[in-house]
Amino acid sequence: MKIMIVDDEQDVEILFVQKFRKEIKSKLLEVEFAFSGEEALRKLGEAGSPDVVYVFSDINMPGMSGLELLENIKARYPKIEVSMISAYGDKENYNKAIKSGAKGFFTKPVDFDSLKHEIAELLTKKLN
Amino acid sequence: MILVNIISFFLLYYLKKFFGGESFSPELKRYFKWGMIASGALFVTGVSELPPKLLFDFLSLLLVGGIIFLIINSPELEKQKNLAVTPLPIVVVYVVRFLLETFLPQYFDKFENYLTAAGFFAIIWAVTMWLNHRKEMKSLQIERLISKEKERQLFLAQERKQELERLVQERTSEILSQKEELQEALNHLKSTQDQLVQQEKLASLGQLTAGIAHEIKNPLNFINNFSELSEDFLVEIESELKKDPEKLDMENMLDLLEDVKSNMKKIRHHGTRADKIVKSMLLHSRGEKGEYKETDLNSLIGEYSNLAFHGMRANPNPINVEIVLNLDQKIPPINLNAEDFSRVILNLTKNAFDAMRDKINAVSSEYKAKLEFRTKDLKDKVLLEIEDNGPGVPEEIRDKLLMPFFTTKKGTDGTGLGLSITHDIVKSHGGTLEIESKVGEFTRFKILLPKA
Repeated sequence: MKIMIVDDEQDVEILFVQKFRKEIKSKLLEVEFAFSGEEALRKLGEAGSPDVVYVFSDINMPGMSGLELLENIKARYPKIEVSMISAYGDKENYNKAIKSGAKGFFTKPVDFDSLKHEIAELLTKKLN
Repeated sequence: MILVNIISFFLLYYLKKFFGGESFSPELKRYFKWGMIASGALFVTGVSELPPKLLFDFLSLLLVGGIIFLIINSPELEKQKNLAVTPLPIVVVYVVRFLLETFLPQYFDKFENYLTAAGFFAIIWAVTMWLNHRKEMKSLQIERLISKEKERQLFLAQERKQELERLVQERTSEILSQKEELQEALNHLKSTQDQLVQQEKLASLGQLTAGIAHEIKNPLNFINNFSELSEDFLVEIESELKKDPEKLDMENMLDLLEDVKSNMKKIRHHGTRADKIVKSMLLHSRGEKGEYKETDLNSLIGEYSNLAFHGMRANPNPINVEIVLNLDQKIPPINLNAEDFSRVILNLTKNAFDAMRDKINAVSSEYKAKLEFRTKDLKDKVLLEIEDNGPGVPEEIRDKLLMPFFTTKKGTDGTGLGLSITHDIVKSHGGTLEIESKVGEFTRFKILLPKA
């Protein structure tokens, strides 16, 4: 199963790779990274029929914001689940995200346990 | 002889009544009193023909003579001397008559006719003199009235002058106390102004704090995450080492150690990042005046636009804004008071955010807020433009924007000092600040700074 992380902070990639080290090693999980909304869309497009099933995206990024990315993904690939990660748990962004079809809304610092839980759920769903 | 007594009485009565009996000395008053009593008594006894004629005549002449003498010799009756002369011929006629009757009665009959005639003329003379005197006295009285009136007028004028002086003094003290009150109000205003300026500074610091908090939180999150991971890895290595040495997964352990090593570097990197941010916050909050130093304007813009953005995001009513930095890398270091100038960027950025928020609330969600910073190297100057695509500023208030206390924000949202202080700071750097705007499209603040 492939997921994609979108964040303008480069170290997030290392963080995720280390956090899901075992899952990645056992090939249960594949993680793709994009450092901007534009890059994320490009990568999703390259794969033709995208095998990415879940996108976790930061909201505040230079250029395309996470919310715009969410709208774009939902318009082009409605099957992909998208969750938002934001440093600010403000209502406006939350409402906007949920209205645009986000599955979840995580605030920074990311609680990796709940993230893992979310992904584990996905994995079991997929296995079934 | 009764006539002589009437004259005596009349003289005394007339003088007392019309020429200030009140102002006479006590001595003169006494003379007048007894003179009048004496003349009255003589008149009564004369009419009753009780005393011997000789004695009565003598006493009457003595009295009138005394009165005439008194009038002539009293300094208080100086002006009435003429009056004493008035009855004199009559008195002389009576004296002659008395002397003739007493000492030469044989000639009395022979001269009686002449004496009667002389008496008649003396009466005419007396009346004429008296009328004359009255006339004189009247004009004197008029004169006196006039001078009295003048005196009264003078007194009134003086009184009026005093009243005016009193009023002037009253008004003066009133004005003085008003001046003091005004001075006090002015002092109060000045200290309030100082407080407001200080508050504005604190407000921009507060705005900054939220941004800084966010900016520090990011590296701190990384530090926490990476150290947590490293701990997990070390635990894993530890449990691996406790296993049978035959079954050791050396490759995995080396991988894990490599990750721990890299994580330590990451922790250091993010620690340094947080430290830098704290230092820049200290620079901003320092109470004393900052120094002018050669400063990289571009990095100042990058740093503070970012802090302002995150400050806005962390405060109530955040908005999504695309921030574009279009910075000319060729500009040389500028002599800046970084502490002050950072507030220029903060204030203008905050203003743009507030304006764009209004537009977001007013128009459809199609609108994408965008804030652009541009720098450009001009010959002897550096141009800094801060442009938002917010609602714009109507021409009629564009001039007022830089005035202190002018604000379009309602209630307690704005002090009206942000732009005014911004303008002051730009001016203190020898620069200029201009506003260009098109309603509904953009607002552009153009700052020109001298290079040297």
